[in-house]
Amino acid sequence: MLRLPRASPLVRLVSLSSRLTGCASRRERALLGAAAGVHHGRGTEGRETGKTLLWLPLSGAKMRNVFEVMLLLLLLLLPLVTAHAGGQPNSPPGKPVLTSCRSPEKETFTCWWKPGSDGGLSTKHSLFYRKESSDAVHECPDYRTAGENSCFFNKNNTAIWVNYNITVVATNSLGSAYSDPVEVDVVYIVQPNPPENVTVSVMEDKGWPFLRVSWEPPRKADTRSGWITLVYELRVKLKEEDDWETHLAGQQKMFNILSLPSGGEYQVEVRCRPDHGFWSEWSSTSKANVPHHFRRDNSTWILMTVFFAFTFLIVAWLLHLNRHNLKRCILPPVPGPKIKGFDKKLLKSGKSNEIFSALVVPDYPSTPSSNYEDLLVDYLEVYVPTERELQLEESKDPHNDRLKSDSSTSDSDSGRGSCDSHTLLVDKEAKEEARQVECGQTRTEVQRSLKDWDALTYAQIDMVGRDVPSGRVKTWPSLYSPLPRHSSGPLDQQSSLQMAKQHSLSTSSFLAQEASGESYWDVCSHGELPRPLRAKTPPHRGLRARSDADVSGAGLKRAPAGPRSLAPHTSEYVEVQRVNNKDVVLLQPVVTGCYQALPGEVYSKVKRVDSDNILLLQREAREEDGYPGAEQENTTQKPSACVYAAVLVQDQMAPMVNAYVDTATMCTLTC
Amino acid sequence: MGRRKLQRRDKDAKTNGQDSAEEMARHTGTFGSKLLPTVLYMVAACSAIPITDLLDRASQRSDQLHSLSTTLTQDLDSHLPLTVRLTLPRPSVCHTASLQTPNDKEQALQVPESDLLSLARSLLQAWEDPLVFLSTSANFLPHPAQNAISNKIQELRDHSKSLGDGLNILSGKMGPGARTISMLPYTGGNDVGQDTISQLINLNFLLSCFRRDSHKIDSFLKILRCRATGLPQMC
Repeated sequence: MLRLPRASPLVRLVSLSSRLTGCASRRERALLGAAAGVHHGRGTEGRETGKTLLWLPLSGAKMRNVFEVMLLLLLLLLPLVTAHAGGQPNSPPGKPVLTSCRSPEKETFTCWWKPGSDGGLSTKHSLFYRKESSDAVHECPDYRTAGENSCFFNKNNTAIWVNYNITVVATNSLGSAYSDPVEVDVVYIVQPNPPENVTVSVMEDKGWPFLRVSWEPPRKADTRSGWITLVYELRVKLKEEDDWETHLAGQQKMFNILSLPSGGEYQVEVRCRPDHGFWSEWSSTSKANVPHHFRRDNSTWILMTVFFAFTFLIVAWLLHLNRHNLKRCILPPVPGPKIKGFDKKLLKSGKSNEIFSALVVPDYPSTPSSNYEDLLVDYLEVYVPTERELQLEESKDPHNDRLKSDSSTSDSDSGRGSCDSHTLLVDKEAKEEARQVECGQTRTEVQRSLKDWDALTYAQIDMVGRDVPSGRVKTWPSLYSPLPRHSSGPLDQQSSLQMAKQHSLSTSSFLAQEASGESYWDVCSHGELPRPLRAKTPPHRGLRARSDADVSGAGLKRAPAGPRSLAPHTSEYVEVQRVNNKDVVLLQPVVTGCYQALPGEVYSKVKRVDSDNILLLQREAREEDGYPGAEQENTTQKPSACVYAAVLVQDQMAPMVNAYVDTATMCTLTC
Repeated sequence: MGRRKLQRRDKDAKTNGQDSAEEMARHTGTFGSKLLPTVLYMVAACSAIPITDLLDRASQRSDQLHSLSTTLTQDLDSHLPLTVRLTLPRPSVCHTASLQTPNDKEQALQVPESDLLSLARSLLQAWEDPLVFLSTSANFLPHPAQNAISNKIQELRDHSKSLGDGLNILSGKMGPGARTISMLPYTGGNDVGQDTISQLINLNFLLSCFRRDSHKIDSFLKILRCRATGLPQMC
């Protein structure tokens, strides 16, 4: 059928036209190809049809005309044709490339290829495979299931632990192209599907929210029989963030995400991988809303703890450095006893004897024997008061009572040993007696402290019993003016016995006797003399009674005999010399304050007062009458001091007619 | 006569002693031969580890083995150009190909457990000698990473040894079928190849065979592990 020589002019025309135009369209090429195909004897339908189409209108001269018309048409249409067509010549297809083969469950697998250029012609790709240890070539059983350019091997066609040699062939009319063969073992190309049913739930653990993610393995993968072992991985991020936080979950199908920075919407994705395979794609995003919470890390606690510990250490160190100051401030030192001689250490040791022995002053109390004599009262001043004095007494009783009370409550305060103390040195023995009269001391003990008092009280003679019926001896200062004014009445009431000795009282105040009638006689006397006096208490009474008048008389008598200038204030001191066998107390005068143990020399009488305020005393030699009222020829000049003092005292005592003698002033009488 | 009696008595005593000693020896001998396994049995029974744990350990070991072999093959392939690898003829059959192993999942799941273990043990046993050959030939390997490869091969040997010991213990617990081992002698010989390329190709092939077999072992053990737990959701 084919006339080759006639075809050639057409071909020549077409080639000529193409050369003229400068470009060959695809159709022309196809025509050429078809012609070439005709030439080469390749029989394809397309080419034949093209051939027949070509040849039909060309017959004879008519054919020539038609041919020319067609040529013109072609020439006209060429630009259009060229515009339409691409511009490449047909060629065999390009080489396809097998991109990947994957098995989702180790039971089937799919291979994909990428076709090369198709060479301008429709290309068909086919996949051929060859199993290991077999030369039979098989073609892909399923090109469609997996999509375009894919080949799906179902279960029947899939064998594991067998190498598949796979080749893809791309064929087109011009040629075919073989891809590079690929050795595939199914077990090495497992890539499962993503996990399914990913659920995210917000849960709470001790107030802190956390995410619980759970999923299921892909449906196709058979994990229940152990055929495939999958490991999972998930990733989470906040909605507004860009970076994911990934966590490996191992083979478990549930995972807790605990470290949530803050609240908000969280997105979670999961993927899986077989033990020796490829990671699956990420699953679809699951979202969860986490409530906002204040998140305090462990690190915050640790920081706070460290900070506080550091501060505490610094404070402790500072306190340690200043511990002495603090100790002084918080716990001030307890003042210890500041007693001289008191030893705290002894107190701690607990031996009281030692403590108190340390306290004891060696000289206290003074031993009576050493000072005994000093404390003995040598003189007793006897004062016989007048009625007026009695009244004064009584008026003064309360005062004396007060004094007495003072004295009774007085303590042996060591600080108050001065003469001007009002406290009486109470004789505890004579306390039952209503009154007590301190016994004075010699002038030498005027300044003696009260520590001598005990001795004094000891020396106090209880010669006068309580049962002295009558009479009171009131030791008043001899300067009392009322001395001469006493009457017999009061005399009776008073102490009758008048001691021969008179003594000035120095450290004591005088107590008025009670007007109770109870008479007593506190006498401080010499140690010797009182005894005999004591022994003769009954005679005392008699003595007293008898000598009342004498005494009073003596007092009266004496009064004028005293210094003329001091007539109203004259007082004298008498000394008990002795008691004669007739129970007569022989008194002898003694000058107050200026006692001198000179029995021979007794100055009891004041002769006169000099211009220099000197009392001139007379010495009285007579002892028989016992009263210093006798004149004495000898006069001795007393020391001016004594006299002076006496003068002074007298001056001072002048206004104190009604008052008792203050011991203070009395003290001044003695030098 | 007394002396003789004495002698006889002595002799008798001696013989008696000897007899008793012999009896003692016999008794101890039998006793000793039975004692050791008894003690071992008791020790094994007292310190018996559950089979699930044993399988777990074995599967972990086999997983490591396979991973090692995979990295090794990749290291070796990196040096060998692909074109060369593919064009030149290569042996296509591993020496363990004669062992019938399941080809797909259904077949594998139908194999009884003891048989699976037996297969695993056989495969492992089959690679004992080739690994020795591999390690020796790796010393002369014309490869840039020859030292690393040699070390890894040594690791392979250690792992396979310990796995084999574990499987031996396991086989004692899984039934009589587990104890059978199919012998798969290595027929590759000691000739690696004359030139570098052939050497590399041969070694590559050998390692690929080992990679596959190690994967088989791993798969079998994991199937066994999953079955032993009894809880499908735990697999």
